[in-house]
Amino acid sequence: MRKDNLNYSVMPLSESFSWALSCPVSLYVHIPFCVQKCPYCAFYSVVPKTGDIESYLNLLDNELKMWTSLTGGKIHAQTLYIGGGTPTVLSSKHWEQLILTLERYVNFLPLLEASVEANPGTLSLGHIKLWRSWRITRASLGVQSLDDAELSWLKRPHGAYEAADAIAALVASGLDTSVDLMFGFPGQTIRSWHRTIKDCLKFGIRHLSIYELTLEENTPWGENPPEGLTEGYPLYRFAQWYLPKRGFIQYEIASFSLPRHWCRHNIAYWQGGNFLGIGPSAWGYLNGYRYGNASDIKLYADSISRGEFPIVYEEILPNEKAAAESAMLALRTMWGVSARAFRRKWGWQAYKKFLQVWHLLPEDCKKTIQGKHAFSAKGFRVANSLWEQFL
Amino acid sequence: MNNIRNFCIIAHVDHGKSTLADRLLEHTNTIESRKMRQQFLDTMDLERERGITIKLVPVRMKYKAKDGNEYVLNLIDTPGHVDFSYEVSRSLAACEGALLVVDAAQGVEAQTLANAYLAVEQGLEIIPVINKIDLPGARPEEVLRQIEEVIGLDSSQAILASAKEGIGIIEVLEAIVNRIPPPSGDPNAKLQALIFDSVYDNYRGVISYVRLVNGRIKKGQLILFMATEREYEVEEVGFFTPSMSAANELKAGEVGYVIANVKAIWEARAGDTITDAISPADKPLPGYKRIKPVVFCGLFPIDRDDFPHLREAIEKLQLNDSSLVFEPETSEALGFGFRCGFLGLLHMDITVERLRREFEIDLVATAPNVAYEIVLSDGSVIEAHKPSDFPDPGKIEEIREPYIRLTIFLPADYVGKAMKLCQDRRGEYVSLDYITTERVRLVYDLPLAEFIVDFHDRLKSLTRGYASIDYEHVGYRKSDLVKVDVLIHGEPVDAFSFICHKDDAYKRALSVIKKLKELIPRQLFEVAIQASIGSRVIARENVKPLRKNVIAKCYGGDVTRKRKLLEKQKEGKEKMKMIGKVQVPQEAFLAFLKADEEG
Ligand SMILES: Nc1nc2c(ncn2[C@@H]2O[C@H](COP(=O)(O)OP(=O)(O)OP(=O)(O)O)[C@@H](O)[C@H]2O)c(=O)[nH]1
Ligand code: SF4
Ligand SMILES: [Mg+2]
Repeated sequence: MRKDNLNYSVMPLSESFSWALSCPVSLYVHIPFCVQKCPYCAFYSVVPKTGDIESYLNLLDNELKMWTSLTGGKIHAQTLYIGGGTPTVLSSKHWEQLILTLERYVNFLPLLEASVEANPGTLSLGHIKLWRSWRITRASLGVQSLDDAELSWLKRPHGAYEAADAIAALVASGLDTSVDLMFGFPGQTIRSWHRTIKDCLKFGIRHLSIYELTLEENTPWGENPPEGLTEGYPLYRFAQWYLPKRGFIQYEIASFSLPRHWCRHNIAYWQGGNFLGIGPSAWGYLNGYRYGNASDIKLYADSISRGEFPIVYEEILPNEKAAAESAMLALRTMWGVSARAFRRKWGWQAYKKFLQVWHLLPEDCKKTIQGKHAFSAKGFRVANSLWEQFL
Repeated sequence: MNNIRNFCIIAHVDHGKSTLADRLLEHTNTIESRKMRQQFLDTMDLERERGITIKLVPVRMKYKAKDGNEYVLNLIDTPGHVDFSYEVSRSLAACEGALLVVDAAQGVEAQTLANAYLAVEQGLEIIPVINKIDLPGARPEEVLRQIEEVIGLDSSQAILASAKEGIGIIEVLEAIVNRIPPPSGDPNAKLQALIFDSVYDNYRGVISYVRLVNGRIKKGQLILFMATEREYEVEEVGFFTPSMSAANELKAGEVGYVIANVKAIWEARAGDTITDAISPADKPLPGYKRIKPVVFCGLFPIDRDDFPHLREAIEKLQLNDSSLVFEPETSEALGFGFRCGFLGLLHMDITVERLRREFEIDLVATAPNVAYEIVLSDGSVIEAHKPSDFPDPGKIEEIREPYIRLTIFLPADYVGKAMKLCQDRRGEYVSLDYITTERVRLVYDLPLAEFIVDFHDRLKSLTRGYASIDYEHVGYRKSDLVKVDVLIHGEPVDAFSFICHKDDAYKRALSVIKKLKELIPRQLFEVAIQASIGSRVIARENVKPLRKNVIAKCYGGDVTRKRKLLEKQKEGKEKMKMIGKVQVPQEAFLAFLKADEEG
């Protein structure tokens, strides 16, 4: 735990945080369960044993209660994101319990965007019905690929047909449906990549997230990398070319959507909005204070039962660093850094610093339109190298 | 003084000087026979390992001659390799005579001639010794003829010997006593002692090797180093037996050492004259003319903190080796170091090795280069030790480069290959003669720059190791040289510039920029690597812009993870050097600098 740059000792929350909590926030709820662990995955999740889910839902209830006790009132959520792990590992009965908890502590604002993550294979019509009858507006489905060979290479617990059925069911239910796709498999070609994207679009999805398969530390594949990964660059580039032709806008480095169907919850991350994360390994950010929960369900449970926040990492970045970081995050999106807003929030000096770096970036990687500095399509492609300049 | 004889042993490399010295030490009982070992005077580890002499070594011997008198013989063994001829010339100045050793099988060689002439020039009495007559291939008659005809010495005076078998040793000793004149000079005149060498000792400071020309020197005396005008009190004087043994005094005609608590190493340079501080001599003895280094390279400590240590080490070596010159240099890749000048490749090699061993410094030696003479349009001449010393091409009237006369001994079968190699290296044919029916002596004049790259290795592999070479410097010659600059994204980068012959410029430029293309990582934009002569671009390569990028999933608002990854990524690049907007890794510089990677 890093507390060196913080001026309180035991309780993480000072006045300003409770003030932040009295304003609308984005709420993230982590469901740390999966039917099996995928070899590339670095998200925190475990395979649940009987009773695990029930007791976890109780802990969540407690954690939310602790947060609300800081404000003395409900949390006002403008967006909600229930992610994982695999939230669809929870049965309808579990879901009812979760919904009760959320309703107890959260005041959902009008025009709420509420997303859930779902995986083909565990998603059922029961889930969909329940979600529709509650506040859920969006579903993000972990499809990864519509190619059976690729799916089995990824060791995903579902096949292409199941994935297709799931997409169809979600779209049919009227939920704003997003699909996660991965690229960079061995043997993947632009042709097979095109087929997967095209098939997804056929179902009427309105949002698509694409990720390159990355080998993360502390994952089975991070330790023993599979061979023959395809270079992701051309595939990414193809998506940047193809999706706009189908009416999709790349509004974020990994996200494409039909106009206005972007995920507001994710945008809050990039634009420095306040968000509260609950559950193990969840992250939160409240007016400059960033925290991370323990990535271990047992540690998490222990803290909660002691009545303590399960926070293991916290930081408040000094202004200069915070400004640079906010610029980097904003540059993930097509809206980029707004000169005015940035100056107002971080000051002239910080903005001048930003410009110094900005000017160093190659012309074809950036654009400045109406006081907004953003990456071009090419800039998105090489963003890692561009960001580095801001560190 | 009449019973003193000062002489040195000179020869071509490996003709047997040190072995002959062994026999003289034995015969005069200077060394007990149980302590005797081969090439006794080669004491440095490096000398023993390589079987060559690097430093001159003085020894004092006592010899009871056939005339019944006891004589003091001061011998100086010298190195034979051309790089160390400076050691020879300093030794000669301390002597009245020289034994010129010639290998009976090999005959007169380049350094035999060069060293004989140096001795003649100094007015020394020369005693030719034809050594190794025990060898089956010995041709004493032929060698005698060469001594007459090639060198011009009276061969009837030559002694036939075998240092190995102990043949002719008495004759050599008798010749020393009878033919070499005793030193002249006046022990009662004002002190004049020539420093012909100095070494640095960690405990005792500077130890000056001296030849007393006039006067006396003893413990407690106040002395003056005439060139540096430093005064010191003598702590100890003595003789080399061959280890240092203290004596009451040294007097005119004798060879010995002086220790005077001199700590600053530049204060007692070889060539300076020591005199009495109270009543000094009118003028110093003629010193040595400083000789110019011909090969240069950069020396950089691997651990940058070692820089001061390296400076100290080089300074100490320089005390024993005044032919070593150096100046600070900074390199984009290697940090702070020194550009050092050497008398040749072997000299460089040995110096680097000594720094590593004796001073325990890990260092990088850059590929060697030569010194060029540049005649400017206004007629003045400047010396360039590195490409960045070169002025604008417009201001250059003429460029001269150092040449060597290269002598190659090799089996006749390989002559064609060797000639081709020489020709490829811009060599100019001088002569070819058969020493025997199978063995040939091939002589070429070759630009030194072409030689120092990897000539010797190439020759060895072409001739399966049967060729041996020797060379001497034959001065500067006008050459059609150009300086090729390398530009990265329009920025010239000094570290990559090089000098070469006009006809080779294109080929070498291409290979340099191809190598750079491999070493420079892709950047966000296309990077042009160009080679140019003046403003004319002669070759170009492009580094394609970067494509690899990773779009990873965002972890529920975990931005710290991404930050850590970016920081790690950035860290890797911190070791890169920015040239304009382009990041160039250290390896790129190292690839061009490191001597080990040459060839
Ligand atoms: N057969 C034979 N070999 C000899 C004789 N004298 C010297 N050698 C050998 O020749 C080689 C060179 O001998 P050194 O005494 O080291 O020669 P050097 O002239 O001192 O060599 P540098 O100091 O390196 O110039 C050694 O292997 C000796 O054993 C000799 O009279 N007969
Ligand atoms: S289903 Fe998703 S969260 Fe679960 S292990 Fe696989 S990739 Fe990770
Ligand atoms: Mg020797």
